[in-house]
Amino acid sequence: MPWNQVPLEDASRRRSLHLDFFWLLLSAVLLYLPAEAQALLAGAVRFTLLRPFLEVQAGVVRVRVLMEETTRIQARMDSLAALVVAQGTVEEENRRLRALLGVSPAMRVGFVPARVVRPGTPGSESVFLLDVGRQHGVSAGDPVVMREGRIGLAGLVREVSRSSAVGIDWSHPDFRASAMTWDGKVFGLVEPVRGTFREEDRLLLNGVPFYERVDPGTLIVTSGLGGVFPRGIPIGTVQELAEEEGGWRKSYWLRPLVQPGSLVHVLVLREDPLARRLLEDLLRADSAVSADTLPPAPMGSAGPEGSPGGGGV
Amino acid sequence: MGGLFLALVLLHFFLHVGLGLRGEAPDLALVALLLAAREVGPGWGGGVGLALGLLEDSLSVLAFGANALALTLAGILGGRTRDLFVGDSLRFLFGYVALGKLLRDFVHWLAVGEDLREPFLVAVLIRGSAGALYAALVGVVVAYPFLRRKRLL
Repeated sequence: MPWNQVPLEDASRRRSLHLDFFWLLLSAVLLYLPAEAQALLAGAVRFTLLRPFLEVQAGVVRVRVLMEETTRIQARMDSLAALVVAQGTVEEENRRLRALLGVSPAMRVGFVPARVVRPGTPGSESVFLLDVGRQHGVSAGDPVVMREGRIGLAGLVREVSRSSAVGIDWSHPDFRASAMTWDGKVFGLVEPVRGTFREEDRLLLNGVPFYERVDPGTLIVTSGLGGVFPRGIPIGTVQELAEEEGGWRKSYWLRPLVQPGSLVHVLVLREDPLARRLLEDLLRADSAVSADTLPPAPMGSAGPEGSPGGGGV
Repeated sequence: MGGLFLALVLLHFFLHVGLGLRGEAPDLALVALLLAAREVGPGWGGGVGLALGLLEDSLSVLAFGANALALTLAGILGGRTRDLFVGDSLRFLFGYVALGKLLRDFVHWLAVGEDLREPFLVAVLIRGSAGALYAALVGVVVAYPFLRRKRLL
């Protein structure tokens, strides 16, 4: 064999080494791609190769929801009908009181009902897919709520495409919500804390001033200060004191109103320019009026898509 | 072998994405990758792993790329084992798939980053070991008819 000719086996081995290096490099590039490029690529794969599987799960969820919800919805409708009859005068009274105090009308928020699809692949924990998207008026950052006994904050929308969206639930490490007690007296920041197992994930109300006391059982709602969630969405109830830090700050464990594992059928609160303007008016007006007019379950009167929901105030 | 690979991958995504199962369903994509890697040999196992990893990563928001890296590495090493081990016994296959699954979980655990990962003990040692045994068992069952036919031929 001439001196400059590489044996066939060596050439093949070298080529396979180069290929291995190439794949490894490509996978490392994927890991460090900018988030926008990653989202674009992930969306393209989801809407092409994985679409049939996602549609299967959407179908499975649809059937399960139909089976489970029928009797529950019937019972809920009966109790709501009773509630509406019993509280017929409250709305009128509220309107008159607001007019007397010079407070703008309560914010009207649009709801979009959506089904939750949970991928079971590694790395997709705390992530869910929704079968609604831009064409339904959903946009990134919209809060996702669910009724489990009472309406509670489940998470928020992270990415939106034309007909679907990707969201994260409250157990995701990136989840944060500016919060307050339902009477608006104590403010703090709600964040998730990882348990040893995912089932032990909990919510923590952090940054409560040391001199404030929050009793167990107090309802914690979004404060609207973070600009992500409208004010008044219930998050959970206070369980116990978690920590007292250096005599200047306290934190409390919360019992979430919504368990991420039970997300099947949710409501997405749509961002509405009119609602945003009303919210700004309202916050301005609120600086003159005490916040303790807040009802214990502000989002309790959620209506169907397009109908005005309960006030986020 | 191509048919078996395709069937395993389709079944994997049907179970994990279509039906939303997590630990209840075995990691059939990895089983398919490890079996395919020994067939296609060095050089192409990584490519198969990258493609499967990309499919899994499309469902993860913040840990994008972690599955691609883990499966690429598993595919590369799986392909390399053909040069090192010629065995096609069931015992070898069991160990091969179990170790491959443990490696995949460990690399994924490293790649998702500190903020997202669960404690090492839970994610790799407890859940990873259980998943590795499960995948290895399923791998042996799935590959048994294939290996038997190969031996007879």
